[in-house]
Formats: sequence, C-alpha cells, structure tokens
Amino acid sequence: MKDDGKKKRIGVFVCHCGVNIAGVVDVEKVAELLKDYPGVEFSTDYVYMCSEPGQQLVLDKIKEDKLDSVIIAACSPTLHEKTFQSAAELAGLNPHQVEIANIREQDSWVHPDRDKATVKAVKIVKSMVEKAIQNEDLEPIKVGVFKKALVIGGGVTGLQAAMDIADQGYEVIVVEKEPSVGGKMIQLSETFPTLDCSQCILTPKMVEVTRHPKIKLMTYSEVESISGFVGNFKVRIKKKPRFVDEDKCKLCNECADVCPQIVPDEYNMGLSFRKAIYMPFPQAVPGTYTLDMESCLGTLPIRCGKCKDVCDAQAIDYDMKEEIIEEEVGAVVVATGYDLYDMKALGEYGGENYEDVLNGLEFERILSASGPTGGKVQRPSDGKVPKNVVFIQCAGSRDPENHNSYCSKICCMYTAKHAMLYKHRVHDGNAIVFYIDVRTGGKNFDEFYQRATDDESILYLRGKVSKIFKEGNKMIVWGVDTLTGQKVEVEADMVVLAMAMTKADGVPELMKKLKISIDGNGWLAEAHPKLRPVESLNQGFYLAGAALGPKDIPEAVAQASAAAAKVGALFAKDELMHAPTIVPVIEELCSGCGICVSMCPYGARTLNAVRKVIEVNEVLCEGCGACAAACPAGAAQQLNQSDSQIFSMVKAILRG
Amino acid sequence: MRVHYYPGCTLKEKATNLEDSTREAMARLDTDLVEPEGWTCCGAEYPLITEKIHGLIPPVRILRQVEIEEGSKVVTTCAFCFAVLKRANKAMLDNPTLHTRVNEYLADDILIDPTTKEKRTHFESYNGDVQVLHLLEYLRDEVGLGHLKSLVKRDLSHIKVAPYYGCRLLRPQKEVAIDDPETPTIFEDFLNAIGCTVVDFPFKQECCGSYLSASMPETSNEPSYRVLNSAKMNGANVVALSCPLCYYNMDTRQDRIKEEYLEFNGFPVLYFTQLLAWALGADVETLGLDKHLCDPRPLFDIKQNAEDVEVNL
Repeated sequence: MKDDGKKKRIGVFVCHCGVNIAGVVDVEKVAELLKDYPGVEFSTDYVYMCSEPGQQLVLDKIKEDKLDSVIIAACSPTLHEKTFQSAAELAGLNPHQVEIANIREQDSWVHPDRDKATVKAVKIVKSMVEKAIQNEDLEPIKVGVFKKALVIGGGVTGLQAAMDIADQGYEVIVVEKEPSVGGKMIQLSETFPTLDCSQCILTPKMVEVTRHPKIKLMTYSEVESISGFVGNFKVRIKKKPRFVDEDKCKLCNECADVCPQIVPDEYNMGLSFRKAIYMPFPQAVPGTYTLDMESCLGTLPIRCGKCKDVCDAQAIDYDMKEEIIEEEVGAVVVATGYDLYDMKALGEYGGENYEDVLNGLEFERILSASGPTGGKVQRPSDGKVPKNVVFIQCAGSRDPENHNSYCSKICCMYTAKHAMLYKHRVHDGNAIVFYIDVRTGGKNFDEFYQRATDDESILYLRGKVSKIFKEGNKMIVWGVDTLTGQKVEVEADMVVLAMAMTKADGVPELMKKLKISIDGNGWLAEAHPKLRPVESLNQGFYLAGAALGPKDIPEAVAQASAAAAKVGALFAKDELMHAPTIVPVIEELCSGCGICVSMCPYGARTLNAVRKVIEVNEVLCEGCGACAAACPAGAAQQLNQSDSQIFSMVKAILRG
Repeated sequence: MRVHYYPGCTLKEKATNLEDSTREAMARLDTDLVEPEGWTCCGAEYPLITEKIHGLIPPVRILRQVEIEEGSKVVTTCAFCFAVLKRANKAMLDNPTLHTRVNEYLADDILIDPTTKEKRTHFESYNGDVQVLHLLEYLRDEVGLGHLKSLVKRDLSHIKVAPYYGCRLLRPQKEVAIDDPETPTIFEDFLNAIGCTVVDFPFKQECCGSYLSASMPETSNEPSYRVLNSAKMNGANVVALSCPLCYYNMDTRQDRIKEEYLEFNGFPVLYFTQLLAWALGADVETLGLDKHLCDPRPLFDIKQNAEDVEVNL
C-alpha cells in the first residue's frame, strides 16, 4: 500500500445509462449508500456518464474535491474505461486511478429483481472502492518501434497488404511458402460477379510487388519462429533451396524439357503433370524455375543430372542449402489464406475415387485458359465434353453433425459462375445445381444469380445429394428435390462439388508459434469481431483475408488494406506505450520454482539460473495474471490487482 | 480361446446356416463360443420410441449376464442383434437416466443357477463395460486378418464376392459403425484375407428393404433387386452379407423378385461365415448350402477349376 496511512479521496459516479441500468437498479440509492463508505469523498449519479456533460462532471469533481481516485459505476470496462481514463488525465489524475464498476452487463442486464440488483450494485461498487484504495499511480512502459513489416502469405490478401504498407513508405518482407506468389486467386478462371479474368487482374499486382523498392519478396520460404514483442520482433525465416539461381535463370525451359521425372501439377490441381524442375505457371513471380528435390530422380550424373547439363546460363546449383534468414520487424500481417475441405471426408460423393467428380478449384482449372484443357470443358476421365453437369453446393458446409457447421459464403456465387461459364462453353449442355439455400449478399450478387437462373437456364434444385456412384461411364447422382418432395436421379457426365473452405494446411501449428488464437474451426481469432476485425489479441499481429474465415476477394482485399492501415498507424509513432499493469516479481519472495514461466503465454518470464529468481520482460507482459494465480509464494503480484486488493474486494462483497 | 457369443433367435430358427457356419469356422479358429446362460431375444430393433426402458431391458440383461459370467466381450454375427446390443450398451454408458432406470428394473430379477439351483437376487448395476463386437470386428481386432490369412486352407480366388454391408453394421454412425459408414473396408479386408476376389459395387450400403418385407412385402423387391443387380453388373458371382433379414429379402424372396423383374434369374447370396468356414477347410455339408433359394453350391464345387465355375445366373 502506497497511501502511507493517508486516507484516499475517492469519487463515485453512478451512471443510469438511460433505463439500461436505472430501469432495474436504484441508482440514486447506490450513490446515496456509497457516500459514507470509508474512503469515499464524493458520490453522485447521472443519466449518461459517458456523455460530454457526464465526463465534465467527473473532470470538475476531481479538481474541485481534490479526488485522487474515481469509480465509474456503469457499463463494462471494455466499452468506456479508456473514455474515463482520458477524462481523468485531463483533470491531472493518473489514469490508473480510474476504476469501472460494471453494474450493467454484470447486474442490471441479467437480473430482473430491483431490490436484489440494487444490493448487488452496491456490492460491486464497494469492491471497486476497496480496490481503488490500494491503487497506485502507474506510468506506461515505453518501447521503440522497428519500422519494417512482415507479411505472411503471398496470396491476393498478402500482396495487397504488402503494397499498402510499402506505399506508406515502410519496408515490407513478404514470405510465401510456395515457389510463386499468387495464392488461390491465380488458379481461378474468372471472378464473380463481373466475370473478369482472375489472372489478368492479379498478375499486374504480382509484378508490381516485385518491382516495389520497399518490398522484399521471399518465396519458397516459411516463417520458422517469431520472438520479441510489438515493435520489436525477431523473425527467423526458412528459405528452402530452389536449386536454381533466380538471377541467372533465363527461363528457356530447356531444363524442364530434358527432365525425365513427371509429377502431378499442383497449379492445375493434379489434373495435368509437370516436371521435377518446373515453373509453376508462365506468369509466376519470381519468374524462375524451381527444382523439387523430392521428385527429382537424382543430381549425380550417374542417376540423372540432365538439367544442369543443358543449362547454358549455369543457373542450376545442386549444392544450394536451406538457409535461415533473420529479420527484425515491428509488425506482422498474417494472411495465410484457406484450403478446400478434403473430398475424402465426403465418401458418399466418391470424389477420391471418381475422376469426374471434381472440387471447385479443379473445375476452375478446367475452365481456365491456362488450365490443362486450355479452357475447353472436358472431363478428366476420357476428355469428352460433358453434356450433363451436376453442381453440388454446401459440400462439407452447413453440416454441424458431420462436417463444418459454418457457411463457406462464396460457394453460392462461384457455383452460379461455374454453371454459367459451363453454359457459355457448352451451349447444348445441361447444368443442374443442388442447393440448400442460395445466399447472394453482396454488390450485384443477386443480379448475377438471377441471370444464372433466368437467362442462362441453369436448373436449380433445392435439396441435398445423398450419393454419387459410377455406372458405365456416367456418374449417377441421387438427390432430392425438397420443393416437390421427389427423389431425383441424374445421369451426369461430371459432378462439381462446392467444397467448404477450411483452414489452410499447417495453420494451427504456425499460429501456435505466433501465439495467435484460433477458433474451433481453425480460423484466426480477431481481437474483437466487430470493432477490431483485423487485429490479433497478440499485439503487433494483424490478420487479414480468408485465414479469418470464408470470404470473397473484395472482402479479403479490404481487410488487407485495413491491416496495412493499422500497421501504418503503429509505425507512425516513434515510441509505443505498453500498459503498465504488469506482474513484476517480488524478489524476496521468489524461490525461483519456475511455475510462472510455464504459465506465461507470452514468454515474458524467464528464470535467472544464477540468481534463482524470475526476471520479467515488462514489454512482453500483457498483465493476464496467469502467473499471479499460479505463484505459490505470492511473489508475482499484478500491479493494481494485487492479492491484497483482491482479498479486500472479496471482503467488501461478502460483507455486503 | 473362449469368448461369449450371442447368436440371437433367428440363428436358431431361420438362419441355421449362419449359426452352423459360424460355429464351424470358430471351431477351426480354436475359439470356444459360450452362449450367455438364459439368453433371450434382444428385441430385434433398438427401441425407436422415446420411452426406451422396456426395449432396453432384454439387451441389457443379456449384457449383464455376460458380465456375471465374467465375460468382457460378446460377439454376434447377426447384424441386427449386434446393433441392438451395441446401442443398448452405449445407452448404459452415455445416458445416466436410462442407466439408473434400467438397472432399477433389472434389480428385481431372480436368477436360478442351472447347476447349483441357487437363487440369485442381488445384482450389481450394469455399467456398459462389456464390449460388443461383430464377428467381423472380432476377426480383425482379436484374431487378426494376417493370422487369419495364414490359416486359410482353400483357394477361393474364383469366388468374386460383392460385400454387402446393409445398414446395421454402419448406422447409426456414431453408435454402431464398425467402420467409416461411407467408405467402409472391413468386409473387403476380411474377404481379401480369406482369399476371395472382392468386387466393389455402389450398392453395398443401400437398403435391402429391411422389415418392410414383413408388412408390405412387395416394397422390398425393388431395393433388394437393385443390390443384387448392381453386384452382378459389377462382375460379382455372389453377394456376401451378415444379416439374416437382408438374407431373407435377397435370397429367400428371390422368387418374388423374379416375378417383378422378368429378366432376373437368380443370384446367390451367402453369409460371410460360410465363406470363412469354407476357406478354413470345413466340409461343404456343414455350411447349410442346401437352405439357399438360389443354389450357391456350384461355387463350392471343389472339383471344378476356377475358370469352369459358372453359376446358374
């Protein structure tokens, strides 16, 4: 206790919040009852404490009555703690002397009984008075900022974020695990609802990124670890060996011509083949070849080594090694994207066994001019033009019992697009769509869907498909039309499944390293779903794109720009302020047992093996209190939330 | 080895070929099948009504008897009995209300020991501790398919078998499934182990008509026909299954199917245990092949070579 026996002068301000609080709690009585409570100098109630006059009242009273601590009995501190802290600061009071007593969410909103709710409100306020009596003035911890950003993921989201940060004048490193940037979008044929060519709009952006003087592109690389704290991260990036020197490579393709190893082409979703030394696609960025050592026959002359022989530019280097590159950055944008839900999970549709049952991305490749069929719609099994194509929406989505409970959001639109593009290429073909609901929220989206049903005569059947099997060279689709109540059997030549979007491969492991929480479905968790949608709770990490949940290109791009703006706001400061409500160590009490080290989710605590005490990195400490709860000796005491304060609060509540 | 075995009523009456071939095969695997003392009908179907108590008493009593006899597992071959016992057992594990109520009813039982004639009136609660296994699971998990393969005495490669799962080995998925309900392989793995040629066909999990054949007999013609026809179209020369009701619909009622589908002229249906016993070297007389409406005996003619086998299709 810092008060040296000197009594505190505490002001209590009880808010009505219109009828939100006053409708249930007798606020005047609360203010009245607090008047004589030990430590309280002044107590009043007001209709809207957060309003301008309400804040002015607090401000005036602090000055007038020389208050050294104030309690605002109102809504949750997540809403207005900052508001009142800054008001108090204007009056010359340390913001850490402001306490919020939550009598709305934790009282008036959840209790119907006026008398009981009033008693509870009094208890809540008294407990905060007890806390305030022992509150100390705290000063924020200052820390410098390293003005360089890391963007994880080189899809459209990552590229947009990188461009927007770089255009603000800050340096950016983009890390992409694949040999080329472009992500999923570069695999798409056309985009809804405008049907403009996906490659045509993305490739200029890809080129721009490589040419931007502030952007450093690291493809075929992965983030190994990140340590440090906001403004001061140390990143270790694993650069996988490409075995081809990007600068020397002349893109002549002779290496691929002589390469004897043929493997499924990832870019074409395995619908065509590539060589072991390859360029993912003609517009790949960086424009260079990559030798996929796992598929390579062997680099020794006795095994193969042909590619090196034919390379006039001497760009091929079999001795290239994996490198670990260390960088210092101040902020990280996570744009790790999504993957499609595995068709294997839907055994009844046979996507794993039947070549002519495709997922949405595979069909995109078939539609794409750069795809395995050059944009001609042909089915994979025999190359015939399919005359009857069945599209199945919600494959793995909206099925909480067996698959994913969520809606994948983009499938209604891209299925309409698929069916439409199919009809544009195969004029006498029939397109049948099975759907649960058609959800077309978005600019010009419903018009697009109407065009599909009305102008393009695509047949929409409301119902699910129970089974797909092969009979001869036809795919038999069993479904139901729930509008007529009839079972439907379709003899299809090809089936396209609108597979659910799901978390990208490896995301849970990466997020564990980055200490970014993920939700039950593996999507990244934002700091606040509405008000902080592109921030992580882990400071300095910004989130964007489909890694947060299913979304279409414009939304992902918007989030990328938003994340970039947030990074810009962070970098605009030369020093960052870190909340001082941390948990230091009382060294006299610390036995160096190390329990708190294992409890700390932020890596803020380390054991000094020589002195046998815990040391705390103040900037890393987020003040979560996990260590304080775990410490058996009481050596970890959170500032302004000490054990002594908590006991006093509990006593105040139990005493009534 | 000694293991508890619940045959169920049908195996003692209509499906004696399933019972006989099971016993013959298990004897050849040195497994002693012990029937729980005083077993009754399991109820044939898991209670579908909300008030499940009466339907649960018979299966739980059977399971409790296994436990009284110090058994930890009970094996069944009838798919329906398997599903009822397994679901009843799961209810005892998962549903505390059903657990309490069923045990309260069963507490009133009086059991007379057949040898000592002693009366037993005190029972511990049955907590779902007995493991209910279908024979296919027992073969896979306890005997081991690799071991089984090493015991095979006959070449069955000329028998092209379409494995028919039906419903009760796989559904309801979360309660009974012995394998992935959409892409199961346990039956195929078993058939491969005993050396049959396995034929994949899309109707292996489709309904045969189930007990509609009792209430609306003609309704089951179409589903049963489709299963048999799909097996045939995919190159099988026999359908194998484990359920007496499926067998009834697909073999015993083949005359009815023929009446409705004139192009259909019969297709043999076997219990998987008949193939198992045959593979392990059993005499053909022990398999009950004479009970089949569509005579499968040509498949078991050891004098014929694989190429010569021509089933009367």
